[in-house]
Amino acid sequence: MAKPRIAFFDFAGCEGDQLQIANLEERLLDILAHVEVVSFREVATGHSDDYDVAFVEGSITRPEDEVRLKEIRKNAKVLVALGACAAIGGINCLKNFLAENVYREEVYGASARWFPTYAARPLKSVVKVDAEIPGCPIDPTEFARITKELLQGRTPWIADFPVCVECKQAGNVCRYEMGRMCLGIITRAGCKAACISQGAHCWGCRGLVPGANLDAARIVMDRPGTSRKAIQDLLRFFLGDTGAAL
Amino acid sequence: MTTYTVYKEQLPLLFEKWSEQYALYVPAKLREGFYDLVPWKKEIEIAWDFDVAYNSPKRFLLPPRETLITFNRKTCEAAPVFEAPAQILFGVHPYDVKAVNQLDQLLESGAPDQNYVRRRAATVIMAYEPLTVSPSAFWATVGAATASHGYDLYWTKIGPASFTVEVGSARGEELLAMGGPLLPSTAGDKEGARRAKARILFKARRSGLRYNWEETPRLLAKCWDSPLWRRYSQMCLACGSCNLVCPTCYCFDIREESDDHLEQGIRYREWDGCMLESFAKVAGNHNFRPKAQDRYRHRYFRKGKYIYDKIGELGCVGCGRCVRACTAGIANPLKVFNELWEETAHEH
Repeated sequence: MAKPRIAFFDFAGCEGDQLQIANLEERLLDILAHVEVVSFREVATGHSDDYDVAFVEGSITRPEDEVRLKEIRKNAKVLVALGACAAIGGINCLKNFLAENVYREEVYGASARWFPTYAARPLKSVVKVDAEIPGCPIDPTEFARITKELLQGRTPWIADFPVCVECKQAGNVCRYEMGRMCLGIITRAGCKAACISQGAHCWGCRGLVPGANLDAARIVMDRPGTSRKAIQDLLRFFLGDTGAAL
Repeated sequence: MTTYTVYKEQLPLLFEKWSEQYALYVPAKLREGFYDLVPWKKEIEIAWDFDVAYNSPKRFLLPPRETLITFNRKTCEAAPVFEAPAQILFGVHPYDVKAVNQLDQLLESGAPDQNYVRRRAATVIMAYEPLTVSPSAFWATVGAATASHGYDLYWTKIGPASFTVEVGSARGEELLAMGGPLLPSTAGDKEGARRAKARILFKARRSGLRYNWEETPRLLAKCWDSPLWRRYSQMCLACGSCNLVCPTCYCFDIREESDDHLEQGIRYREWDGCMLESFAKVAGNHNFRPKAQDRYRHRYFRKGKYIYDKIGELGCVGCGRCVRACTAGIANPLKVFNELWEETAHEH
């Protein structure tokens, strides 16, 4: 059987997810031995439009992005959203809470009118997405696991429970018991509660967990001593495209 | 059972000797108000007055993630993986000993869980009588105030620098003898231990069930349709925290991953919880407990009835960890059982 041909693409984003893949270093060579990479501009030169699996990073922020993404979708048998920007819109969606003229001038200054952009959105708002590897940035070990699952013809699995599960597995003291805010209660796990284990809190970069109880979460977060503005900022940070943002 | 008296100044030598052969865990303060069993080091200060270990002892016997088998996809061969480090858990409160005893019963019955059984056999449990009661605890009223077995040694602090140590197993006695000649407790020391126990029981009984805990299964049998389940579960985040911090919850999920050559692989298990939405999802994507309300009720039936029907004790030892862990403030066996008791007051 011919090796599946894979290609990487990016839209609005920092290409940090492709960097995470490059960070797999020696593991990357073993994994890539099963495939043929036809396009991966962060690691290699060359490009071809003949591919089976497209890993797409970044969010859609301009009308011409849509055209390009639809073209990729047409060429690819499997389209995988790579990272928070591609999967849930991510921090690019912060601009969606500003007026269009405000964010365009902020970014492009006097030449703003030459650069049409619109509200940022995840890939799934434009085309059908077959699999998601969420996170900002993605966890390279999760990328490796999902890629192997795709290679074996299995349905790629990502955690369908909140970060609290992995946080309890790690044995961390709950941020709420420390009087702090945390989005772990509504955020999809898979990161091994990395930020909390390092002393920070969850920002929600992996998107909402399926069935997130947002009404309850708002009551839980709205505690004495916590400013509602801070809650709003936190919910908009990564989750701007979801129903969580206030 | 033999009881010895041990003085604080003997401990450094004992810990030193034990740590040469075992991974030794002792209670220490993590930050103000938070304690846990942590790896022993010479300079560590033992938190003798800890109210509850933040993480339950189950993680030492049923780790959050554990490899079960390795397999080869080419030859279709598989081999079991057993890991059972020799370890000493020093400072396990009686309710947690009860919880471990319950895990022993449940995991050793039927098809014994070989990974658990091996880890358990390699684990020395040194029980320790608590000096303070966690604000969310209610162990004194659910039949978990004392553990009659399941420990190798049972330590009771009877003075500023003295302990009585009741022997629970030959292995425990040998470990204690590593510190030099053993000093049998005097009648006075034993009386001191009895008083220490009475003192903590008095404190612990201040908050608890308003009825005899053995009524719980009968109580629940009447409460399947109670409006309480809906009232509380509306706030449920389905985060599974109550399951994961529970010392008696032992459910796990099994997954597999291949190596990068796609030749070998491992099958591993990870903690799971019945409050998670996908817990009851089976083939064909059918979910037999799709609503938070179903799952919430199931957990209390599990703790208060199903386990009792199996082994004659509650599945809840009253440690209060879930009460603390639940950010939504709805995981609270004490409150739930007491409220159901009041709801049905006209029937008893």
